[in-house]
Amino acid sequence: MSNDTAMDNREPQRPVRVLLAKIGLDGHDRGVKVVALGLRDAGFEVIYTGRHRMPELVAEVALQEDVDIIGVSILSGAHELLVQRLMDALKAQQTPIPVVVGGFIPDDDIQPLKDMGVSLIFLADTPIATIAQELRELAAAKRLADTAASA
Amino acid sequence: MFDPGNLKKIEAELAAWDARHRDLRTEQEQGKRYETESGIPVKPLYTPVDLAGQQFDYLRDLGFPGEAPYTRGPFPNMYREKPWRFTQYSGRSTAEETNELYHEQLAAGLTSIEVAFDLPTQLGYDPDHPMAAAEVGKVGVPVKSLKDWEIMFRGIDLDKVYVFSVSNAQASVILSMHLILAERQGANLQRLLGGMHNDILKEYMARGNFIFPPEPSVRLVGDTMLYCSEHAPRYDARLMCSIHIGEAGANRIHEAAFALSNSIAYLDEIQRRGLPVLDVVKNGLLCTTYCNHTDFFEEIAKIRAMRRLWGRVLRERYGIHDQGAHQLRFNGSQTGSPLTKQQPLNNVVRTAISTLIGALAGVQSVDPRTFDEGWGIASREAEILSLRTNQIVAYETRITNTVDPLAGSYFVEWLTHEIEERVWGEMERIDKMGGMVRAIELGYPQRVIAQDAYERHKGQDSGEIVRVGVNRFREDETGRKVRTYKAKAEVAKHHIEELQQLRRDRDNSAVSRALDDIKRVASLPPVGRENNLMPPIMQAVRSLATVGEICSALREVWGEYEEVSF
Repeated sequence: MSNDTAMDNREPQRPVRVLLAKIGLDGHDRGVKVVALGLRDAGFEVIYTGRHRMPELVAEVALQEDVDIIGVSILSGAHELLVQRLMDALKAQQTPIPVVVGGFIPDDDIQPLKDMGVSLIFLADTPIATIAQELRELAAAKRLADTAASA
Repeated sequence: MFDPGNLKKIEAELAAWDARHRDLRTEQEQGKRYETESGIPVKPLYTPVDLAGQQFDYLRDLGFPGEAPYTRGPFPNMYREKPWRFTQYSGRSTAEETNELYHEQLAAGLTSIEVAFDLPTQLGYDPDHPMAAAEVGKVGVPVKSLKDWEIMFRGIDLDKVYVFSVSNAQASVILSMHLILAERQGANLQRLLGGMHNDILKEYMARGNFIFPPEPSVRLVGDTMLYCSEHAPRYDARLMCSIHIGEAGANRIHEAAFALSNSIAYLDEIQRRGLPVLDVVKNGLLCTTYCNHTDFFEEIAKIRAMRRLWGRVLRERYGIHDQGAHQLRFNGSQTGSPLTKQQPLNNVVRTAISTLIGALAGVQSVDPRTFDEGWGIASREAEILSLRTNQIVAYETRITNTVDPLAGSYFVEWLTHEIEERVWGEMERIDKMGGMVRAIELGYPQRVIAQDAYERHKGQDSGEIVRVGVNRFREDETGRKVRTYKAKAEVAKHHIEELQQLRRDRDNSAVSRALDDIKRVASLPPVGRENNLMPPIMQAVRSLATVGEICSALREVWGEYEEVSF
């Protein structure tokens, strides 16, 4: 993003910024709210979209909010189509923001989601500390890549 | 209740006992926390002294089953007449498949049907709407119009089988379908039994299936209640739903308090129209409650306390002393979150315990979940096992012989009272905020529920809350496979084709007239029994307007709800 090396040196200090979203019609928001509260306590900046959001809107908000990671939560079984739409929208915007998925994902659907480009998948009962750790690593890798791209 | 002399003696002996064993106890209890799931501290022992401390009064606090305050149960003879209803939340990806399933369920011994809709139907979208694309037929049956309802209940007598619909935002439409079909089957609506959720306020704070903003939504609940009070008075047109509040993460105190405060909002709506509240509660109320194994006694005490609290609300708030109105009946529902994906057969045990909890609390139906809940939509095998669980608890344990067998337990009675007071306190807080509609606008219940869920998750992460197979006693799960139900491929396409066919076959000018009438009435304020939306919605349903079309007509007038952050 920036050619300013002083900025780049400060990058690791900047809190990881995450957009958490419920896409589709699924109303189960217990998990996403627990993650939001947990990540906030772990020092993340968390923006939560609320429910019933369309993937295209989430991609737009992620761009506006300049987030490091998008986390979507789905428990309705509609992940395949909705996540594909999100990935397509991000591609169309040319914003390579890593996407992680949480919620109810059957075992057989995990690889197909990864093939779409989903970075991480968190199933129910994952400890918050694990999620926080993996998201930090993901954000650090993304910032490095951004820096390299803009250098 | 307790003889003062005797009580003094017990108190003295208790103190002496405590002194004799205190050191041992201190040593054994070191570092452990003893409290209910909702955080109520629990002592090692309860005695008459604790009940005396709460001014326990048998006749006032418990009385007798089938009579106010109904603590011991809504019916005088309870399960000696017949056990609770065995039910199962289910729906398949087409009306035909769902009909087949319901017939199979009834043949297997299920005594009630509980309809699960897919998400587009629950949110008032037809299958061809862009919002619906990914979700048609995924988590339940898509119901587009009255035609689907007719197919679902082909060969099922609605005046004999208790049908329960989990509908909320579009409850008025499903209610219309149900009443029209029952009438066409020749049922006497004055005696028709059955029910639906129709508790929209919990959708904002918990389950998320809302369409319109809270105010017009509450008006719609008022319209359905008033319509049924005249035309189908035994039908539970609305119930109090605490299950989804619990499943969203609320502890038992918040679950009960928010559910009761939601009910107050609907009764206030009736009062605002200048009508007697008794009109809509004279046959008591049905409550679908969270009923899970994660705190055995607290769950039972909560259900008993809620029976007392409902009477207290009617008495103190509305001056209703009518005994029938005070009767609170329960559906006890197990939920998915206490179950685990890991070691799925362990869920069979959790289900059995939850069923037992429902029975010991005196509920009127139990909906046990299936052991494959963590893997997808239940397989038929898993569904049968959960029905058998109900049957084993009901027919093999003899707990149905006597009414409310836990009554008089010092701990259970103490906890029942404690929960009642804590819930009442929380309800007063909502009241001070200006009632539940206002509290939701402020985001209060949303925040509380999220915080409760977070606390529980932290307890699980730290290991303080044990989940067998998840954070303790784990096994290698690699390669484990559980087969669940899968919706047929191309299901959305099938429904879109049916929809197009419907739009070709019906009288579309009649549909537009009916939809215009809905919009006209929706823009008028309800006064007394005037401007009720049920007659125009019934007319639209008769003319084969779709769920999506009817909800869109209302959207045009009322707009959609935008969720506040939490």
